[in-house]
Amino acid sequence: MRKNWRNKVAILLSVFAGLLLLYIGTDGFRAFTAESARTYQLMKEKPVFPEVTLEDSNNRIYPFSDFEGKYVMLTFIYTACADVCPKLGMNLAEVYEQVPSEFIGENIVFLSISFDPKRDDPATLDKYRTYFGSDGETWRMARIPDQTELDRLLEEFGVIVIPDDYGNFTHNSAFYLVDKNGVLQEVMDYTKIDKAADTVISMVEEEAGD
Amino acid sequence: MGKTRYGIVLFVLLLLPPIRLGMESIMIVHMLIQLPLLILAGWLTGDVVVRKFYDVWDRWNGNGIPGIILVFFITLFWMFPRTLDEALTYNSMEFLKFISLPFVGLLLRGSWEKLHTLGKTFIYLNYLSMFGLFAWLYIDSPIQICNNYLETQQKVLGWGMLFITVLMILSIIHYVFTDHSKENVT
Repeated sequence: MRKNWRNKVAILLSVFAGLLLLYIGTDGFRAFTAESARTYQLMKEKPVFPEVTLEDSNNRIYPFSDFEGKYVMLTFIYTACADVCPKLGMNLAEVYEQVPSEFIGENIVFLSISFDPKRDDPATLDKYRTYFGSDGETWRMARIPDQTELDRLLEEFGVIVIPDDYGNFTHNSAFYLVDKNGVLQEVMDYTKIDKAADTVISMVEEEAGD
Repeated sequence: MGKTRYGIVLFVLLLLPPIRLGMESIMIVHMLIQLPLLILAGWLTGDVVVRKFYDVWDRWNGNGIPGIILVFFITLFWMFPRTLDEALTYNSMEFLKFISLPFVGLLLRGSWEKLHTLGKTFIYLNYLSMFGLFAWLYIDSPIQICNNYLETQQKVLGWGMLFITVLMILSIIHYVFTDHSKENVT
């Protein structure tokens, strides 16, 4: 009987320990992939956009802090990308269309950042932007020429880029919304266009209403 | 004692950086070879440990159920894409892997044979469906679910898991159609 008693306690304990392991390992059954864990973590931490120097498709060179006072909707791309990036760009274009035009450029700027600064020079970016109807002004495309700065940004925003043998990169994709103080506010699923647009519009409207 | 020595040697081999990094660079080798070998290492050394702490072991894990429950949860944990990914990104997860999986082997050594036929069957069928489910997840996922592995690698892993599922089904069929009348049924 005594033996039995211990055994039962051990069963309860092991079930408890097992569930606890799964609970902690998945952030409370919320994140089963590293990508969802990353998004969850980012929303909790809300990192500040690090100071980087951008060079855009119009050959302009300026620090990211030039956008201070405006929301920035951004994504990470490389122009030689054949699969995800065009989709990412197309979807971002749709979000851009949905935002009321009075806010565009005034309260919010769109920005596609290339993580392939070697190939994506201003001329390449300038050509690339036309595919998505970006005007180069309220939706800019830029590279970060300094590799150290770029790496730091990717690290802060949890973007993992793996180069493959064919000059391509595998990378995780999302829309990022940075507020007017450079603080990351939202990481959004780039496939859910309407949801992303709603989030962006409500944030910007709230800001403009003040 | 021979078995124990093999277990320790195996564990040390798996720890060696070239072997460790080599195995982890390929997703299917990471999950379906490295992880099971770690369990095997624990299983081989398990004999000594179980014998040494026989009294405690017998009192708390008399019918093998507590042990097998832990085995179930820890192995399920290591089948998630996220844990595999994080073992590569965080040293703490890698450390946990090298501790928890030999522990699973140890638990298996001290629990499996104590289970009744019904318990064994239940666990077997449970793993069968788990492998099937994860095979489907890894093959069918239209997106890359691990940040450190490419999509093609996760498909390969999925097919590997499907292969295991099929083997497990075949071995049931084999069991059903062979004569077990001379064995002791517990």
